Amino acid sequence: MKTSNHIQFAWLSVLLLMVFPCLSLADETGGISTTPTSIEMGAQYDGINLKVKGTVPAGSDVILHLTGAVRDLHLRQKGKVGGLLWMNVGTVTLTNVPNVSLIDTSRPFSELGGVASPFRLESLRNVIKIEQDTKAEQIDIPHELFLLKKHERLYNEAEKGVHLGPVEGSISSFSAELAIPSALAPGEYQVEAIAIKDGAVVGKYATTVRAELIGFPKWLSKLAFEKSLLYGILATVIAVFAGLAIGLVFQSKGAH
Amino acid sequence: MSLTMNLYLPIAGNSVNCLAIFGLGGIVGLLSGIFGVGGGFLMTPLLIMMGIPPTVAASSDSNQIVGASTSGTLAHFRLGNVDIKMGFLLLIGGIAGGTVGVQIIKILRQLGNADFLISITYVLMLGFVGGYMFLESLQAMRKSSQGRHTAPSSKKESVYARMVRTMPFQTDFKRSGIRISALMPLVLGTLVGILAAIMGVGGGFIMVPVMVYMLRMPMHVVVGTSLFQILFTCINVTVMQATQNHTVDFVLALLLLLGSALGTQVGAKLGKKLGGEQLKILLASLVLIVMFKMLFDLLVQPDILLAYMGGH
Repeated sequence: MKTSNHIQFAWLSVLLLMVFPCLSLADETGGISTTPTSIEMGAQYDGINLKVKGTVPAGSDVILHLTGAVRDLHLRQKGKVGGLLWMNVGTVTLTNVPNVSLIDTSRPFSELGGVASPFRLESLRNVIKIEQDTKAEQIDIPHELFLLKKHERLYNEAEKGVHLGPVEGSISSFSAELAIPSALAPGEYQVEAIAIKDGAVVGKYATTVRAELIGFPKWLSKLAFEKSLLYGILATVIAVFAGLAIGLVFQSKGAH
Repeated sequence: MSLTMNLYLPIAGNSVNCLAIFGLGGIVGLLSGIFGVGGGFLMTPLLIMMGIPPTVAASSDSNQIVGASTSGTLAHFRLGNVDIKMGFLLLIGGIAGGTVGVQIIKILRQLGNADFLISITYVLMLGFVGGYMFLESLQAMRKSSQGRHTAPSSKKESVYARMVRTMPFQTDFKRSGIRISALMPLVLGTLVGILAAIMGVGGGFIMVPVMVYMLRMPMHVVVGTSLFQILFTCINVTVMQATQNHTVDFVLALLLLLGSALGTQVGAKLGKKLGGEQLKILLASLVLIVMFKMLFDLLVQPDILLAYMGGH
């Protein structure tokens, strides 16, 4: 009995030794990093170009994906009333919606084959849950959501924006720039590089990027959310005084 | 050296071009100064078009109207165009009407037809008010250019005029040069408040014609008094929105305010140069343009069939 246990352990060890080099190889052949490593949203923030670089197994193509936390969305659905007027006809509640989804590739999706499909924007259809007002007309909600998010530049699916570097041994480098929109919400975002070779995923490498308010926007946001009454009164008082000041400036000008 | 004109707004969660916002404030302020309307029905949709979330656009607009109407009220006060007594009575009515209007909206939403009714009310109100003002002013301008004078005393007293004359609590409104029942501005203020709450706007563009045609106030006093009343309405909205929904972007409001306060001052002076009938016809044209834009939006299929909650 003991002998058979030893044999099983020996086999397991051999298997692990066979697998382990592959795992370590994956670590050695792939990686990802961003510049900057965090997104600082100060008064001058107007979106940035996030530089992403890394390495993948030689000969791989790369799909780059930046995604944010999921949230629930309550939206209004527009439809035709009386066959004539377009107006709000109901509400739609969407759950599990990533607030950001930016995708880019080293090669057109059509050339990457079916293995790339789960990484496309359209694959979100399988993730997002929809609760539609039953009275409203049935429309392609995910399609309309994609249009809405693309309009805000929070969703984007680009191709050929990832540049592959020369092969060095068993690895090749890649680099890309992701256009981070100004409408990005503070929070943590995951940047993932998916390496695809010969119709299969051969590696996934991820890093996180934190977007955070700094300086005046941080102070103002804190005041608005944590001391909202004071913020509201301050906003009103400053507006009144600014209006009075401008009025007085005009009075003195008018006096001459 | 490149100087960026973009500024990040943490409450709106987006960055804006300072010059564009300043210019937008200036144009709307100009209209506000000339006509005594808050301009929310123009500003909010334009802010949404610039990428500001609808709820933040509407609340921040209220915040900037506080400043713009302070500046405008001051300018009109110096010109002797603010009837404070009338303004307060309209305001009390407006607040009561607004409270009733919010409840009506709740009931309509439960019945499921709220948005349809709001849209139709909006277009019909704008069309009626704008059309009536336009035609009436056109007739008055034609008459004055033809030099025809009709003595008001020769006209038969209308039922409305008789009703107004016989109402209790007759009060002198010296600034407006009229004597009417104090109940009139209270009742009319309430009705405008109800409509404004249903339509989700400040109500300046309804209040101005009401003051002109139903309270028979002179046009220049109407403008000053309307701005005075709007000031208090918007103070209330700003504090409420800041505390309950956290949707007031003060920086956005201040940028808009700088433009609009300047615009209001210019508008008040420009309005003084224009005759009462000219002012009415210009306001009527503005109201009709907004009505046609709304009608267009109702008739043409939108590019995206989903929209965020809030806004108009």
